[in-house]
Amino acid sequence: MNAHLPLSIQLSWLIPLYGFSGVLLSLPWATGWVKRNGPRPAAYLNLLMTVLGVAHGSLILAWVQQNGGVVIEWPWFETSGLDLRIGFDLSLTNLAALEFVTIMSLLGQVFALGYLDKEWSLARFYALLGFFEGAMAGVVLSSNLFLSYFVLEMLTLSTYLLVGFWYAQPLVVTAARDAFLTKRVGDVLLLMSVVALAAWAGSLDFEDLYAWAAQVKADGSISPLLGTLIGLGLIAGPMGKCAQFPMHLWLDEAMEGPNPASILRNSAVVTCGALVLLKVMPLLQLSPVAIDVLLIIGTISAIGGALVAIAQVDIKRAFSYGTTSYLGLVFVAIAVQQPIVAVLLLFAHGLAKALIFMSVGSVIATTNCQDITELGGLGPRMPATTGSYLIAGAGLTGVLPLGCFWCFGLLVDGLWANYPWLVPVVLLTNALTAFNLVRVFRQVFLDKPHPKTKRTPEVNWLMALPMVSLAVVVLLVPLIFHRIYPIAGVEVVSLFSMVAVVVSSLVGVVIASGIALDKFGSRSVFKPLRTLQDLLAYDFYTERFYRSTVVAFVAFLARITDAFDRLLLNRFVNRVGTSSMVSAEGLRLAVSGQTQSYVLTVLLAIVLLLSALVWWRAA
Amino acid sequence: MLTALLLIPFIGGLALLLLPSSVAPVRMRSVAIVFLSLQLLLSVALLIPFDPSVGTPQLVEFTPWVSRIGLDYRLAVDGLSLPLILINAALTLVSAVCTRDISQRPRIYFSMLLLISGAVNGAFLADNLLLFVIFYELELIPLWLLIAVWGGANRGYASTKFLIFTAVSGFLILAAFFGLALVSGSVNFNITPALTENLPVATQLVLLVTLLIGFGIKIPLVPFHVWLPDAHTQASTPVSVMLAGVLLKLGTYGLLRFGLGLFQEVWPLVAPWLAIWAAISVLYGSLAAIAQSDMKRMVAFSSVGHMGYVLLAAAAATPTALLGAVFQMVSHGVISALLFLLVGTVYRKTGTRDLSVIRGLLNPERGLPLTGTLMILGVMASAGLPGMAGFISEFLVFQGSIQAFPLATLLSMVGSGLTAVYFLLLVNRAFFGRLAVTPVEDPVAHGRLDVQLAAVAPRETIPAVALALSVVGIGLIPSALSRISDSATQLMAQMPGGMG
Repeated sequence: MNAHLPLSIQLSWLIPLYGFSGVLLSLPWATGWVKRNGPRPAAYLNLLMTVLGVAHGSLILAWVQQNGGVVIEWPWFETSGLDLRIGFDLSLTNLAALEFVTIMSLLGQVFALGYLDKEWSLARFYALLGFFEGAMAGVVLSSNLFLSYFVLEMLTLSTYLLVGFWYAQPLVVTAARDAFLTKRVGDVLLLMSVVALAAWAGSLDFEDLYAWAAQVKADGSISPLLGTLIGLGLIAGPMGKCAQFPMHLWLDEAMEGPNPASILRNSAVVTCGALVLLKVMPLLQLSPVAIDVLLIIGTISAIGGALVAIAQVDIKRAFSYGTTSYLGLVFVAIAVQQPIVAVLLLFAHGLAKALIFMSVGSVIATTNCQDITELGGLGPRMPATTGSYLIAGAGLTGVLPLGCFWCFGLLVDGLWANYPWLVPVVLLTNALTAFNLVRVFRQVFLDKPHPKTKRTPEVNWLMALPMVSLAVVVLLVPLIFHRIYPIAGVEVVSLFSMVAVVVSSLVGVVIASGIALDKFGSRSVFKPLRTLQDLLAYDFYTERFYRSTVVAFVAFLARITDAFDRLLLNRFVNRVGTSSMVSAEGLRLAVSGQTQSYVLTVLLAIVLLLSALVWWRAA
Repeated sequence: MLTALLLIPFIGGLALLLLPSSVAPVRMRSVAIVFLSLQLLLSVALLIPFDPSVGTPQLVEFTPWVSRIGLDYRLAVDGLSLPLILINAALTLVSAVCTRDISQRPRIYFSMLLLISGAVNGAFLADNLLLFVIFYELELIPLWLLIAVWGGANRGYASTKFLIFTAVSGFLILAAFFGLALVSGSVNFNITPALTENLPVATQLVLLVTLLIGFGIKIPLVPFHVWLPDAHTQASTPVSVMLAGVLLKLGTYGLLRFGLGLFQEVWPLVAPWLAIWAAISVLYGSLAAIAQSDMKRMVAFSSVGHMGYVLLAAAAATPTALLGAVFQMVSHGVISALLFLLVGTVYRKTGTRDLSVIRGLLNPERGLPLTGTLMILGVMASAGLPGMAGFISEFLVFQGSIQAFPLATLLSMVGSGLTAVYFLLLVNRAFFGRLAVTPVEDPVAHGRLDVQLAAVAPRETIPAVALALSVVGIGLIPSALSRISDSATQLMAQMPGGMG
């Protein structure tokens, strides 16, 4: 099969296995069989596998850049009614995403060596990261919906285990649970669509599905209701993965997990979710409703996420809500059929967000503190961390011509013609993000030192190296864009859009520079402002809302079922049992004890039974 | 060869009874393990003469017995029964190996275990209705004894309940078979759709419904499931493994073999009702499981839910759905056996199964880390996470059923989502958090750092690790199983009752 292809492509099935094999390689240390010399060898083995993955990916990318994309498949499970395959679509976009994912994983793993220096279960962490990376590699390369679902669920599982890494802490327990269940809701809805598509379209290959969708749209052979339901199911999975409203809660709680995993979660994992959405995008033509829903959810998430972010005092949460917000913009871009802008935004955001989480991780590692009201004056003490923060901030907003500046420009240009009402959404998100970045910067890096920040040296090289390298990459993003998408032309952004983006960023920066900052334990005395702050700080009370609706409803149903089972069904059975015992006791007293009467009774019963059967047969 | 599958466990059971009682219990267990290993080897060896491309029963062994009443000794195996034979052999071996507390009457205990395994083999292999009923009834008494003698504190109530329910089930099945023979005028009880060929629809319906209730008790389907949670909570761990892993499959096997297999003409009439029944069973089992605080009861209710998928698949009767039914039987067998084993380990080490009492068992130094890791794997498999046996089974069932019964299938998928809810609650409560084996309400005792659970010896974990590996194995290489069953399920679906 495919004998004419180079070896690197024929062996592309190895790519997810580099990550997955890390699990097995870490086992001797994770289980505690090997205790000599600590758990570090597991980390080194994982790093080695990731380096192999990056190298292999680069080889394929180089070949594909010259010869064009290729789809490669292996049979997996074939029955009389079903043919499920493992298929990789080695296109330029997918391979770029693969490189992004594996390099992020590599940087994250090096960073973790420094960040989790004294962690006793380091091997388990690396095993989970390997699993995570393998699943992400599978998601980005997959050429069919079945495989996509398969690895997305593995991603859900590994998120659960990574968030639950410090499982002994009470907040981690609930965070892991919510992360799993929220994503699981999305996944089950996605599975419904996958199953329906497998049944009606007869194939789960993306190419076949696109053809099927176009044909069905032309001849209307499935009902609009079915089309709508399938479309809604398809977007539910990525919604959960990308932490979009109303399934955004988990990402915030997931910040209880170790920071190196947060780096990957906020950059690579959400990108994987959005890539799945991109892959199913052509199927959404079956369902105009789904596209509208996508647009609405994207808009709400973009503004809602940015608003909630500015009220957070936890340094990780302040930026995790920003992820919800930016992915909302990606959803908007996908809904308005601008896939290239969506991809560019994903890359630009992913790189800059990873960098900001590294910077934040350095702050946390040095100060052991996540509350920004207790931090201050870190700027001069931690120059690399501060520099990285600034570069990441510039990369995320439209203030300097880095990644997101061009993405926002393209997005505004694209929206201006058909969806002018969405332009303010983009600009407002940008302004709010800039506001948030400046607010946190003033609080953490400027200001005068606090007791917790008096002795804060710069982080060690294991953390500084990946951080500084990534900072350089973020600075180079416009060049990378130019290389990957020469035709898209990031240079063609109109002057109007550029000005709009820069002005909106500056508005955010200027306002944030002027406001008064909360200090530890202080809140506004002005009641309306405080109410607003609380509303945003508690994420529009979403958690409370869920607890009193969905959770309460399921718990209620469970209690009702249980009560029915115990009080009605079991009691009925016991009653029948008891009464038959009682009547048996009664019969014992009624019979004479003579053998003849027993025989007579039995004979009589048999005759009755037989005659009844004969009569029934005759009838 | 098939006869040998009956002889090995029966002879083993008899041999154990004949051993002098001075033999040490551990020695007796070894004898049982030897016989069960032989049985497993022979079951696996069946794969050699077995021709997977043939869908009809093969390797027939026939000896006229009491032909006057239609009872012939006729054994055969096909793609539906072979996986179940394998599961039976493997799980009986597992329950013998994991039997720990064997001070009480070990001879009878192990011989009962072997007797059950032999009877179950007989039921799966029987190619004659009466022969099936004989074996079906034969397995009852030993199992009743296993619960009634070696069970928990409330074993009298639970075992009586079990006995009454399953005896009624056997009686209904026998009644349906006799009724079938009587109304069709046939004196042979060979399994052939021709038996029902010329019967009026109403008669067929009456017989089929009787049969369905009979097997519905065994599967068990709501509302006939009431015996199951009690039986599980009172039974010891190895008996629970047998009950969930093997014996429930007799019900689903009967449903497919005799319900769908014999009543092809009226099957489409009852199928929509069966699909609704399946959805109710799935949701009921899942919701009830959420409310349980006893880990074993929770796993028991999950069985009620998960066996509902098999009914859904049987109702849809497409090739994919029926293959999914076989997959679901096998994977439920392995997964629930694994979960019961692990719950058993927790119970043995902590002395309780109460989820409001146990916390933080994952603790690597003083808790049960390996048990916890396997538990996470087991519950994820049960919740249908890809890469493990549960996912591919559910996928086949759902994909095969959704066109025939969209609503029932979607509701069953909701049930699959609920599985994640209750099992996640189990893991989060019992394994996450800070290690403690005291009620939360007791603030003084709660969270004390002096809890030190006895470590699980590596040898004791072998059965659970083996089961976990097979869960992953089936999930990653499902074609190994579909190769055996595909022809048989396809043939079944192509019969008039099927939708293939």
